[in-house]
This record gives sequence, structure tokens and C-alpha cells, in this order.
Amino acid sequence: MIAQNFEYSAPTTLVDALRLLSDGDAKALAGGMSLIPLMKLRLATPEQLVDLGRIAGLNYIRQDKDVIRIGATTTHYEVQSSALLRASCPLLVETANHIGDIQVRNRGTMGGSVAHADPAADYPASLLALEARVVLVSAKSEREMPISDFFVDTFTTALEPGELIREVIVPVEDPSAGTSYQKVLQVASGFAIVGIAARIRQSGGTVTFARMGVTGLAGKPYRAINVEQALEGTPGSPADIQKAAALVADGVEANSDLHASAHYRKHLAGVYTMRALAVASARTA
Amino acid sequence: MKISGSYTVPASRERTYQLLQDPAVLAKCMPGTDHLDKVAEDEYEMKMKMAIASIGGLFTGKVRLADQNPPESFRLLVEGNGKIGFLKGEGLLNLIGQADSTEVNYKGDVQVGGTIASVGQRLLDTTSRMIIKKFFEKLAEAAVE
Repeated sequence: MIAQNFEYSAPTTLVDALRLLSDGDAKALAGGMSLIPLMKLRLATPEQLVDLGRIAGLNYIRQDKDVIRIGATTTHYEVQSSALLRASCPLLVETANHIGDIQVRNRGTMGGSVAHADPAADYPASLLALEARVVLVSAKSEREMPISDFFVDTFTTALEPGELIREVIVPVEDPSAGTSYQKVLQVASGFAIVGIAARIRQSGGTVTFARMGVTGLAGKPYRAINVEQALEGTPGSPADIQKAAALVADGVEANSDLHASAHYRKHLAGVYTMRALAVASARTA
Repeated sequence: MKISGSYTVPASRERTYQLLQDPAVLAKCMPGTDHLDKVAEDEYEMKMKMAIASIGGLFTGKVRLADQNPPESFRLLVEGNGKIGFLKGEGLLNLIGQADSTEVNYKGDVQVGGTIASVGQRLLDTTSRMIIKKFFEKLAEAAVE
């Protein structure tokens, strides 16, 4: 189908974009990998689109002391092929590898994916495990918040009307850490049925640090803090991993659809948490 | 699609029952709804403005309350129509009194059709649970006002 008529503007500065977005029903267009299909189906009928693609200085990956700042319009392909991220935040590179297909990775952006907050998107699991931060800007203000506060619910974020994500901030990974993103793919859409991100540090035969992010399982992505706590302080043996992984879906109301029932999703989450932890553990130095 | 769940409302069973029968309260709790128009005894019409992700639309709908058995249970029938699809649902709400709150258990069946159902299958369950959660959060707010 063809989208309903809409006005289109492509500002070249962030200030202009924020001004255009500050009034009324205007919708921001990043890579368009979710918005455009919805518009073509006429499920989304925005009256005005503000294309962020021509804004200079919103597309970057750069190190700033012990963090890496990723501009909102950085594409998944750019994340996937970044030498800096490969060396200093390999979890994000591995996650970007899993997103959609090559066309989606060429167009889709970090900011667009995070702002859309699809409960089965890949990045959120890793960003939660990385304890990332997001910088949000509007015509009037700028604020920074932890990613765990940003995801409020299914397709619901802390973004106020007229506000945009300017950048995502991730830590420079400790060189001794092992990380992994493991995913069960829903083949037709490329979205995660479940996706598990794991980060581990070990010292003297003990797991000293564990961070887990889970996507696809619940109404919103979450950090599996109970798994982290169960693993920290143990030797991280296969038995320890199995015991900790069994907690990943505890107290979670799991999604259910024609691809996977809630029960099956919870089972998969347990299995893939074990795999993610095993791979991350093997990658620790 | 079968739906079921349970929420706790910080009010007595009598008061919770009363809140759930009050069109002004229902309008306040339903996302995107300003007010309900009474069209018959226990039957109301409404307009809902929904916006989830980029999907937005205006729905016109009807709510009917039936089989009232205060303060224990009643049946809620909802239907809505919009450009992007329609929904029809029916649920039984059971109220169980606790010390100083009420547990509301709901169980029902919802049918969703139109474009939204044919392309949005992956997210219907998750999204409907979020809408129900928002309803009960608002109801809990209304209960302590």
C-alpha cells in the first residue's frame, strides 16, 4: 500500500529538527525500518515527518575517556563494522550482527531502534547488560538517564513529546571481561523470540561481576539481576551457570504469540541464558 | 485470544466494585478516553485515542456491564472500531476482598481483527496486557483519591 499524504522536512541541524518536532503531531524519522512499513500499512498516519538523516553531527562513534558515545543516527552496520567498538565494546558489535537483515542494518539506526522500544528488539538486552545511558534532547532541555529508566513498557519510553535521543553512552569494556549475545530468531521478522546478553568478569577462579539483559521474553526488556547475583561469588562452573540461568524468567509474565507460547519462551530463556553465560565465561581473560 | 490476570486495588471490595461501575471512573482509567456517553442502562459509548509505538488512531467503542452481582462479580463487554482494525471482548471480573484492599481477577476472551491483527500478531498479547495494566494502575490511583 501507499502511505497517507504527509508533509516531509529534512532539517540539517538538530536545533531545526527539535523546533519542527516541538509543535503538534510531527514524527521523527530515523532509518524508517519500523515507521515506514507501518505508514505503508496505514497503521501509522503522521501528518508531518521530520527526517533526521541529514543532520550533520548526529552520526558518530567516539571514545570519550572511559565511555563510548554513539550518535543517534549511527546505523547498525556502522556499529557492526566499527573497529573501536570491536576492540572496546564487542557485545554491541555482536548484537548488531543479529539485527534483521543486511538491508535493515544498512538503514536502521541505534536511536531509532531504542526510541521505538519494540519489546523484541536486540539492542535493549545488550544496552541493559552494559548499563548504558541515553542522552535526550528537546527544544528546551537536555537530560541523561540510565537505559533501565528509559524503557518504561511495551513501545513506551521515557521520551516526552518533542524529545529525541541524541546519543547512547556505553562503557569501555574491561579487557578481561567476556561478553556474549545469544538469540532465538523469529525467522520471518528477524526479531528475537528471546535474546540474552551476558557480561562476566572472573578473578582468581571466582565470578566477580555479572550483568544480564533479556529481550523478547516480557513486555519490556529487563536486567536479570537475580541471575547476576546468583552467579557472582561462585566459581562460575557449568553447574553454577545452570543454577543461575534457571532464575532468568522468575516472576516474569512472558509473552505469548503464534511463534512461541509463554511457557516455551521461558524455557528458551533458561537455555539461552546458559549458553550466553557459557560463551561469555569462555571469553574472559 | 484468551486473557486473564489479577490486580490489587487499594480499596474495600464495596468501593472497588462501585468504582468499576462508575462511568466517570471507567473513562478516566481507559487510555485515551475522555468520557463515556450513556446510551442505555449500563451501556456506554466512547471515543478512544490510542497511540502505541507509531501506531495511532481514533476508535469508537461501546462498553456494557452485565450480570452484576455486587460486590462480587460482573461481566464487562467491550467493542471498538477504528480505521486500523476492530476488537470485541468479553470478560468476567471477580472481586476478592483482602484486609484493606481488593484483588480483582479478570478472565476473558478478546477478538481482534482488521489490519492490526493481520500484521501485528507478534505484539497483540504484549500490547493488550500493557493496556490492561495501565487501566488497573489508573484505577488504583482513583481508589485512593
